[in-house]
Amino acid sequence: MKRALTVALLVVVAIPLLYAVAQLPQHGSPMTPPYTHISPRYLEKGPEEAGAENIVTDVILNYRGFDTNGEVTVIFTSLAAVCAVLLGSRKGDERPAGEPSSSAVPVSDVVSFVVRLLSPLIAIFAVYVMLFGHISPGGGFQSGAILAALVIVTTVIVGRKQAEALVPVRIRRLLQVAAPLTFFVVGVSGLFLFGDYLAYPKTEGQMWLATAWLIVIGIGIGVGGAAVLASIFWTMGDDS
Amino acid sequence: MIALLWINLDYAASVVLFCIGLYCVVTKNNLIKKFIGLNIMETAVFAFIVALGVVEGGDAPIMGADANAPFTNPIPQALILTGIVVAVSTTALALSLIIRIYQHCGTIEADELREME
Repeated sequence: MKRALTVALLVVVAIPLLYAVAQLPQHGSPMTPPYTHISPRYLEKGPEEAGAENIVTDVILNYRGFDTNGEVTVIFTSLAAVCAVLLGSRKGDERPAGEPSSSAVPVSDVVSFVVRLLSPLIAIFAVYVMLFGHISPGGGFQSGAILAALVIVTTVIVGRKQAEALVPVRIRRLLQVAAPLTFFVVGVSGLFLFGDYLAYPKTEGQMWLATAWLIVIGIGIGVGGAAVLASIFWTMGDDS
Repeated sequence: MIALLWINLDYAASVVLFCIGLYCVVTKNNLIKKFIGLNIMETAVFAFIVALGVVEGGDAPIMGADANAPFTNPIPQALILTGIVVAVSTTALALSLIIRIYQHCGTIEADELREME
């Protein structure tokens, strides 16, 4: 009975969706509606107008900078929420006994060696993606994810104590708000120099400043995002 | 309709992925598995929207010296980048709530939790 209901639900959901999808313009045709409105202008004017050769960076950091500003606030808020949920009341835990602790299974030598071998390369890659987000694929969020993955894998290998010692608590607090903070700083600079929050320089001669701001925000998002993700991981692993 | 779906196979694939995620959410009993189902549904939506921006033979929308048209649509990619960040945030919050439920009740099976009430 339950199974029949599930199948019925899936069919009821799938049929209208498939029907709608079949009516869409052909996949990959340049005449699709999302391609015919504002994208041509972004593609045509993006580099001169917004300061980055990578149009995706132009869109997220310049044309839709407000959106991304809210975005980095969202990841910071999620960290705050995770801390509020998990660090709130430590007492009253009723966990079943005999739970395996994190040291119960030692990390294999092969995994440990490979991680140690690769981690400098991962770090270089993350920094490259962060700094070159305006002229090549990449940007702040991506490099933040790579850096956070590096921190998490290092935590698994060397243990949490040693990994956390690399980033003292006081600095960590600052890094966690790095992304909203850089956005705020750049936004207020725009307010003072060009009259609007997050206003970028528009004239030909000041394009270097727009590019510099994009790089600064990229660094801020990368470092801040990595710090937030790593902190979430550390907070979740708090009681193991 | 089948012929039309074959033309738009990429979109149809994301619909199938969406249904797999929905199946997980509906049938799985473990809260973490339910949430993985939700994440699969998110991924399906992301894949669909990114696929909307694809242009036949299009390059990545990066203007360099050797860049040549056509380019893929940058807007869906930028929007989905934002969407992924929100997905990560919600995932983190949901997992921490699940950890909390486990600390309090000792289980994350939905039916056992329902019996506890």
